[in-house]
Amino acid sequence: MAVQIVMDRTGDTRHEFDQADSKAVTRAEERFRELTGKGFRAVALGRDGNPGKLLRKFDPQVEQTLFIPQLQGG
Amino acid sequence: MDRVGQILRALFRRALSEYGRDAPTLIDIIIERAHGRLEPRIGVHFSNGYRTWSPLSPSDCYAFCERHGTWDLAGLRGALLREGHPIYAQMRHEHAAELIRQRRRRDELEMLRSRDGVANLLERLRRQADALDNDLIWRQREHPNAVGGEPERRRSDAGRRLWQWWTQQRDQLASSVFFLRSSTEGGSRKAQERGIQLLKQNLAPPQRQQFDRYGFFDVVGGSTGKRYRIRNGRQMNIEQLDKNGRRVCGWCFFPQGNLVAGDVMLAQKMALELYEIEALNIANRY
Repeated sequence: MAVQIVMDRTGDTRHEFDQADSKAVTRAEERFRELTGKGFRAVALGRDGNPGKLLRKFDPQVEQTLFIPQLQGG
Repeated sequence: MDRVGQILRALFRRALSEYGRDAPTLIDIIIERAHGRLEPRIGVHFSNGYRTWSPLSPSDCYAFCERHGTWDLAGLRGALLREGHPIYAQMRHEHAAELIRQRRRRDELEMLRSRDGVANLLERLRRQADALDNDLIWRQREHPNAVGGEPERRRSDAGRRLWQWWTQQRDQLASSVFFLRSSTEGGSRKAQERGIQLLKQNLAPPQRQQFDRYGFFDVVGGSTGKRYRIRNGRQMNIEQLDKNGRRVCGWCFFPQGNLVAGDVMLAQKMALELYEIEALNIANRY
């Protein structure tokens, strides 16, 4: 199972999907496009807190994808 | 106080501010002679291995040496240690007391921030303002004919000014409490906990340890290799450090959407590690 973690006001919302299920993968890809289209950054989380990898396109093999909202200066 | 005493105090203050509650024990005071292009300097050594230095000129030591009647490095070091230990002990004590005071203040703010706290505060302010208002009205009813009299007119002016001042204070306090609430709170307590949990899951073990112990963690910029310190918070919580761990400047950026603190800090960590330049272009430097 893979999971997409979206940061939001509740802490985060998690969307799990089975990488072997093509429909679930399609939905996950749509979610990826929708969120990145809104300005979210997608990051493949590394293990043990190591820096992950910035995802430019959807990769169904990534186990944990974190979606970070667009940044703003304070 | 001697100049050298002031330098010692500054060094102790640096160590205390660095280690907060876990203030280390003072072990040694070191004086290094000038060599090459380096000036003479004084350093303090602590039980946890932390050392901090400051330049020291002979003129800084003159009054101290004269007071202690010592004119060689070994004697100076001994005198500094004798004088430094009680100063440091006192500063540690004051620092601990200050931390307790800060904790209390934080708790009080926490209480005010809660919905009930704000409601209670406003209700109390309203009651007191009403009481003051009623008092003025009652006084006018009691002495309806004396309004034109000089003493009573002065008293009435004073009451009006007091009333204006009170209204202003009340409005300021109320707005600051609401501002505080809106600027620091993001989501419910459960959301806050989820955010911290997600953050901790994505911190490297040393970062997690650092965060648990001190409330901040260090990150290395993915593009420049610069070191940043992310403190527990949502805004103005990033410091750029130099190679000696001293603050160079602050950076302020955060993700949109009024996220909880844990999410904000995780987003800041990811941004600095993975798209540092872009994040710093967006950020404000202070």
